[in-house]
Amino acid sequence: MARALRWGVGLLLVVSLSIGAFVLLPFRSWLPGGTVADVPLSQVVNGAAFNRLFPEPQDGDQLVFTQEKRGFSEARLKHGGQVKALLAISDVTTAPEARSKFEASESRLQGWPLVEQGAQATALLVADRFQVKVIGQGEGLDPEQRQDLLARFNLRGLAALQAPA
Amino acid sequence: MSSVLERLERLPRRNLTVLAIKGLSTLVPGGWTNITRADALIGDVLGSSDPELIRQVRARADVLSQARHEGYGRALSLYDAVNRSQKAAGGLRLLANIGGALPLVKRVADLTPTSDRLQAADLSLKVAAEMLAFTQVNGLPGDSFGDFAAALGDYAGEARVRMAALICFDALLPLGDQALQRLDGLLGGLHKRDLHQLPAYAGMARLLPGRGDGAHLTFLRRGIAPWLGWAEGFSSQLGLTGQKAVQALEGTLGPWQGSFKQMATFLDAFTDTYQHTGVQAVARRLVERAAAEI
Repeated sequence: MARALRWGVGLLLVVSLSIGAFVLLPFRSWLPGGTVADVPLSQVVNGAAFNRLFPEPQDGDQLVFTQEKRGFSEARLKHGGQVKALLAISDVTTAPEARSKFEASESRLQGWPLVEQGAQATALLVADRFQVKVIGQGEGLDPEQRQDLLARFNLRGLAALQAPA
Repeated sequence: MSSVLERLERLPRRNLTVLAIKGLSTLVPGGWTNITRADALIGDVLGSSDPELIRQVRARADVLSQARHEGYGRALSLYDAVNRSQKAAGGLRLLANIGGALPLVKRVADLTPTSDRLQAADLSLKVAAEMLAFTQVNGLPGDSFGDFAAALGDYAGEARVRMAALICFDALLPLGDQALQRLDGLLGGLHKRDLHQLPAYAGMARLLPGRGDGAHLTFLRRGIAPWLGWAEGFSSQLGLTGQKAVQALEGTLGPWQGSFKQMATFLDAFTDTYQHTGVQAVARRLVERAAAEI
């Protein structure tokens, strides 16, 4: 009996130690799931490359960058402390499903497909890879105002961006 | 691990924490709404209540919060670490307060870190956690330091009630109305070994930049300086004082007979304001990104 107990305790110790090691030691970075949709970081354009392509703020507006990650950069367009719109450029490599909505699109802006999403969001797909989006905040923006903002992005510069080798 | 939006939906709708924040928010223009429904938050950001769009944003937000490199989950664990240690320290101090008369518990009273210096260190850890969480959630936005400072200011402005809670509950109530002015001096007198008396430090040490306690201490002292400048302006603009904070809290929590310090201990032990508003702030940034990426 004592022998069985010893074996039991030993086994329990080994199992709990290996589980503990797996949970506590920094093995987690080796596991999948570290990056968005498991796409390697090297295949995604860094958000820093998008910053200089945002529109220059006009007549008293202010552009405040709020988020910058791999494949994503976002800024707020503010006027007198009030947020007018969210402006964002993202690399759709990590979100291929975002492409599908542009397939049925009839409208074009500078040759790129344009889609309205709900009452306050307009999206543009540049070079089949970069999604540019304007989302009206607060009192909201007309579709024309949103498209005007989209046109003021440096779309040519964006189309010329390539993924890092 | 549960996603950010699941955490948001599990936040309490009405308890002591919510009442404390509600009370304090009467001091801050713009007020505060306790957002605990992910769909409402998404609809608010997107300016649309189309269920299909909301479903897409939600799915994208879950994908983003599962990815460890994106830092949304890491920011939440920072808030959790700070919250755990705040509760532990608050509980000990409460015990010391109640049981000061009992011989056995008196020993605990001697052990509890109640000095102003440690309170100041605790505040600086919270501010450091806030800045680390900011970089985890938002990256380093913009191309210059000016852009980064503007982003930080914008974030603080958005989380005004959160910042007011931090200033009142962790500085003005426990350290007095001159807390922000005194903080620099208090931190200057801090020793490396004092850090180890803070429960939060053990959890955060590996996330702080630099190696060793000395480097961490320097980071805390330097890191709090820009925040301090902002916080002084903010609190003088709103006229925040311990007295006003207690009055505002009495509006929702009921009359308070004890001292300001006891109020701070009570709030530390029984409320999760830092974690509660933290989850809401992270969820909002996450949804703003997900809405732009669908």
